[in-house]
Amino acid sequence: MNNTNIYLKLTSRALTSLRKSALRSFLTLLGIFIGSATIILVIEIGKGAQAEIEKQYSNMSVNTILINAPSAEGGVSSLGVADIPGLKEISEIKDIAPQLTGRLPITYSETTVPLNIFGTTSNTESLVNLKMRQGRFFSEEDSEKKNKLVVLGYTSAQELFGDNFGNIVGEKITINRKQYEVIGVSEYKGGSFGPVTIDDSIFVPYEVANRYILGDSGRFNINVIVNDFKDLPLAQEKIAEKLRELHNIKGNKPEDFRIRDMGSLVNSAQSSARTMAILLWTVGTIVLVVGGIGIMNVMYTSVLERTKEVGIYKALGAKESHILYMFLIEALILSVLGFLVGSVTSTILYFLVSKTGFSIIFTLYAYVLSFVFTIIIGLAFGYYPAKKAAQLNVVDALRYE
Amino acid sequence: MIKSQSPNETSKYLIETSNLRKSFSLGKQTLDILKGVDIKISRGEFIALMGPSGSGKSTLLNILGLLDYPTSGTYKLIDTEVSKIGSNTLSEIRNKKIGFIFQSFNLLPKLTALENVAVPSLFAGEEKNDKALELLQSVGLQDRISHYPNELSGGQKQRVAIARALINDPELILADEPTGNLDSVSGKDVMNIIVDLHKEGRTIVMVTHDEELAKFADKVIHIKDGVVEKIL
Repeated sequence: MNNTNIYLKLTSRALTSLRKSALRSFLTLLGIFIGSATIILVIEIGKGAQAEIEKQYSNMSVNTILINAPSAEGGVSSLGVADIPGLKEISEIKDIAPQLTGRLPITYSETTVPLNIFGTTSNTESLVNLKMRQGRFFSEEDSEKKNKLVVLGYTSAQELFGDNFGNIVGEKITINRKQYEVIGVSEYKGGSFGPVTIDDSIFVPYEVANRYILGDSGRFNINVIVNDFKDLPLAQEKIAEKLRELHNIKGNKPEDFRIRDMGSLVNSAQSSARTMAILLWTVGTIVLVVGGIGIMNVMYTSVLERTKEVGIYKALGAKESHILYMFLIEALILSVLGFLVGSVTSTILYFLVSKTGFSIIFTLYAYVLSFVFTIIIGLAFGYYPAKKAAQLNVVDALRYE
Repeated sequence: MIKSQSPNETSKYLIETSNLRKSFSLGKQTLDILKGVDIKISRGEFIALMGPSGSGKSTLLNILGLLDYPTSGTYKLIDTEVSKIGSNTLSEIRNKKIGFIFQSFNLLPKLTALENVAVPSLFAGEEKNDKALELLQSVGLQDRISHYPNELSGGQKQRVAIARALINDPELILADEPTGNLDSVSGKDVMNIIVDLHKEGRTIVMVTHDEELAKFADKVIHIKDGVVEKIL
């Protein structure tokens, strides 16, 4: 017996039937395609968030400790460059650099854009692992002499000199009405260091930033690199002890500094990204399940409407498997269509969202996963009504009006 | 198919029932519709089933057509005991050996006349469109093949249904008040076709309450209160 014939014919009949009730099919599709698209976007946004975190912290070795003044109420922190020599005595510390940051309008000829000022010492070049595209980073000597020099991050160079800037070493830019000479441009790096992103920063010798540019308006912090990851807890303890001693904090008096290690910062950022991903997944699944219930609802109505038809088909020799197939194939077609519309929609949304600069990553496996999920949900929710239809008693079904 | 069956397997009777009972439970009460029906129908016979409404004649026809299960008793159709077999096998037997003609036609509304006629052949494994066309011609509907049921008159619908009943060349034709929903002219047309089917050698069991129609039959089985009252 040629069973393929039967199923092919039943499939084409199902297509015809779905086309004839186009509106109802469309309404069912709505739920499915929204769920399908949500799953794709959820994965892509999740991946984007993950990558964003990785980018932000990629330059910060996990061996880094960040010391800053708490933004807490009252009292000025005495945390400052003066603490650095004392801290250097701690044997677990490998390197240490102050960082004074703030956002200011920067001018080159007619162009004025707000950029990050990054006042620091010369060892930041190796601390951040900065690679120079043009010129050089400033030296300890530049810092001591308070030379008015700047090193531009890649993006800030683009902002000031245009996307395809040529050699700009020796050019002069204006900050607070004073002129500074560009002595170098760093390669694109991605990510941030302390409170600022690296690429749209302007590196300035610490003393210059403190005296001429930011002063008290800047945010100050100290970045510490320890010799070994294992030294982190001990180093943090010793730093706290040292700073209490240097700042003359005794007994239960509150500390005027805050110490965090990058490892735990990365961890908490990653875990919040995971939470976000789980949340989005849940939303996607709920939407899809609701879509699935939509399928079930439509199938139920369809089974009810076609009870008599099922009776006739069975009277004429259709087996349970044929009836089951007739209804399941409709659910399957709806799911596949829902997925197709959903993937087109999410692709369009992907392009729109990525244009806004929001972090989203095109992910092929998101489509595969969404497809599998959609089909499973469609079939699972389509199965029960279809099974019910297949098992209808012929006489009762024939009598149904 | 049916004609290829070897003679030594075939008994004289196409249908043999013994003590066939059917009851429905309505809450605590049990309603006995058939209370022990014994009938024997030979191959090629034209039987009319008559009886007042509620006598159980339609229930009997449904059981004979394997659309319903008896509560107890035995039913041998074409030498096979069918009262206990599974629904898929029953589907297969209905498909190949029985043609149905219903009072309310029971055409599939979304299919054309031609598609309707071909449906049983599809479930037999191959859609026989050529044969369906031939059958529609033989019932005078060659110019209605692409019409949907709602575009056909009652008489035309019933003729489509008859063509459909014949597509798999069944030995047994079951007709439940085939002219019940028709005017007298189309009723007569339909009856003539059924008589022709009998002349071709098919076994026909027809439920009717019309004495005039019963005259076409070889035998009339009268059912009353769930038992055979008399056979004429």
